[in-house]
Amino acid sequence: MQVYRLPNGKTVKKPFNRFWIVLPLFVALCVGMAFVIPINWSNIRFAELLVILRKMFTPQNNRTWGDYFAFMLTLGDEIADTLQMSFAGTLIGCFLAVPVAIISASNVVKLKWLSVPVKFFLNLMRTIPTLMWTALAVALVGFGILPGIAAIALFSFGIMGKMLYEAIETVDMNPFEALESVGANKVGAFRYAIFSQIFPIFISYTIYIFEINIRASAMLGYVGAGGLGTVIKNNVMYAYDRVGATVIVMFVMILVIQLLSNFVRRKLQ
Amino acid sequence: MNERVQTTFAKRPRTWIANLILTLCIVGLVVYSFTGSQINYNSLAQAGIKFNTMINEIVDINWGYFFGYGDGASFNDGIVFKMLETIAMTLFGTLIGAVLALPFGFLASENVVGKKWCKVGETILVLIRVFPELILAFILVKGLGMTPLTVIFTIGIHSIGMLGKLFAESIDNMDRSSLEALDSVGANAWQKVRYGIIPNIMPELTSVTLYRFDINLRSATIFGLVGAGGIGLPLSLALTNTADPAWEMAGTVLLAIVIMVLVVDFLSGYLRKKLV
Repeated sequence: MQVYRLPNGKTVKKPFNRFWIVLPLFVALCVGMAFVIPINWSNIRFAELLVILRKMFTPQNNRTWGDYFAFMLTLGDEIADTLQMSFAGTLIGCFLAVPVAIISASNVVKLKWLSVPVKFFLNLMRTIPTLMWTALAVALVGFGILPGIAAIALFSFGIMGKMLYEAIETVDMNPFEALESVGANKVGAFRYAIFSQIFPIFISYTIYIFEINIRASAMLGYVGAGGLGTVIKNNVMYAYDRVGATVIVMFVMILVIQLLSNFVRRKLQ
Repeated sequence: MNERVQTTFAKRPRTWIANLILTLCIVGLVVYSFTGSQINYNSLAQAGIKFNTMINEIVDINWGYFFGYGDGASFNDGIVFKMLETIAMTLFGTLIGAVLALPFGFLASENVVGKKWCKVGETILVLIRVFPELILAFILVKGLGMTPLTVIFTIGIHSIGMLGKLFAESIDNMDRSSLEALDSVGANAWQKVRYGIIPNIMPELTSVTLYRFDINLRSATIFGLVGAGGIGLPLSLALTNTADPAWEMAGTVLLAIVIMVLVVDFLSGYLRKKLV
């Protein structure tokens, strides 16, 4: 360790840089992990990727560009299915999350034995992604948009519950105390002091979750729920250009929803 | 005084009518959304029976399968190995993403490239962010085949979107006073980068990357369901037979996913708290 002596007689030690401990550890971790997934470079077919991309984004099987774009226009039903799934799932999940979030917010309901397990339960819910919920729901209730709605509702429930209780916990509690001090009961004080602070946040979060769900729901059809993913699943064996056209439609749909949601959320703030 | 309060109270805006109409519209839309779902009581009753079997079988964790022992199975067949594989793929994917995101971050930062070019960078980043990662995984699987590299590339490419944006923000929000201080003591360009910029933005970049690692681990669990590797693959195999899904296998995989995500979540949260 270097020690410097300043002109005024003080000594200054050069602080030890922890980077030199972290770096070897990290490199060791990477090397160890590289043994877990042996990559066989000769198996990787970058040329194949270009072939697939050309198959997807140019017309195949004697079809013309006209057919390619005409196919996009026939996807209206599937787009509607995707939107319906995300809409219903998001709203159901988000509304069911409200009571749970209130229970687990430590500043409203001061019951630790209740809020801690509920918070842990919400954490558990969030570890399982929408697509996995869908795979489980499809195995349970069969194909269709119902498992999609259920999966999206479950995911929305988990994420909204967490975001909402965090929002409630950081709320300004002074109005609540003021209302209680003038004789309002707990419910009334909650309605006029906390609810009015939370409601715009709730709406904004709902739109945000809807946006996430739209992105996820596009591929839900691939594991058996309805929507645009179904088209990909049905065409993946023999008509790559239709898969490509569907991917483009999906991308445009998601982009439009994203722009709309950004616009609405900016208006709300 | 009291009268004035009462007249004002009587004149309060009647928003409840508009609220009621809006609520009814939304409820109507939700109900309408179920129209395509073909619910009938027969299938719901069947789902009820299946649900019963599921609950009974899903808690019956197959520990031999979990750790990969017994019945001539080796460690490499077990779920724990699949977990390690998923973590390894996420690690390398995030690493690639972080390295690739650096130039994009500079391109999208107003301080570095100016107002005009940063709009270009931002647009590229938005397009990467919006493109669903599952579709990216699906396309790459078709091209590169079912290798770990597919998942690594998917995660790497998709991470650029968010990491680039957050990198650009941390570069833009950097505290510039330390640069001025270095200027005043006569530091050269390299010394300014080394002692002014890197210590300033490094903790934030690391923290953002760790956070992204978290997100990527969650999404790495589902790439298996579209045919790429990772821990989702055994799950999708267990559920292939929809008439009689192998619930105990699914339960084993789900337990592994929950443990893995919770532990990594906790670790990365702890490290991030240390960093900032």
